[in-house]
Amino acid sequence: MINSEQPSGQAVPPSRGRIAERLLPGGEEPDPRFTLANERTFLAWIRTSLALLAGGIAIEAFTSGLFIEPVRKGLAVLLLLLGMMLSGGAAVRWLRVERSMRSKAPLPLPLFVPLLAGAGALAAAVVLVFILWR
Amino acid sequence: MLALVTASAFFLRWLPTYGAPILMLPVVSGGAALAIYLTQRRRYRERSHGLAGESIEADLPAVLWTAVAGVALGVLGIVVVLAS
Repeated sequence: MINSEQPSGQAVPPSRGRIAERLLPGGEEPDPRFTLANERTFLAWIRTSLALLAGGIAIEAFTSGLFIEPVRKGLAVLLLLLGMMLSGGAAVRWLRVERSMRSKAPLPLPLFVPLLAGAGALAAAVVLVFILWR
Repeated sequence: MLALVTASAFFLRWLPTYGAPILMLPVVSGGAALAIYLTQRRRYRERSHGLAGESIEADLPAVLWTAVAGVALGVLGIVVVLAS
């Protein structure tokens, strides 16, 4: 992108894309290190999401001798849904943090952290009960 | 990118169990990894120039497309599991 100059001699900032203008309106570009850190956090959540997706596929195939079919499919779908939620939630979180940084507002709380922690604890409890009950 | 490649290999591992439908997942994850690989040089160049100039534009399209790929993998995974 090339900066163009107004007749008064002031440099005009390069125009952003239409989607960027709509989803990240106003404010000013934050410190580049913070933008990159936000992106790294997003990618870390995506890696976790991929692990849950892979686990969802594996649990259906790997536990045929452990659980009956409805339980297997239910657990697999639960993990896949969790993985999907993480992917979408990571993007929403990235957007909210980026907007906060642009407007120098406090960073939002990551809502899906307690959700994911709760879901993980619940899954571990279910497996523990199952193992003790067998 | 490596995580997506690993996920692709992982999905392929279950090909004997799920059959051909599972191939949709490595196509999506492998495709996403390929897109990242093909665009990373340009992105690294923009980022390094941005750091030197102390101004980086947030890469909104990359974030959105990566999230879409994750959601698509979830949808396809649910279809494969329920259809098996």
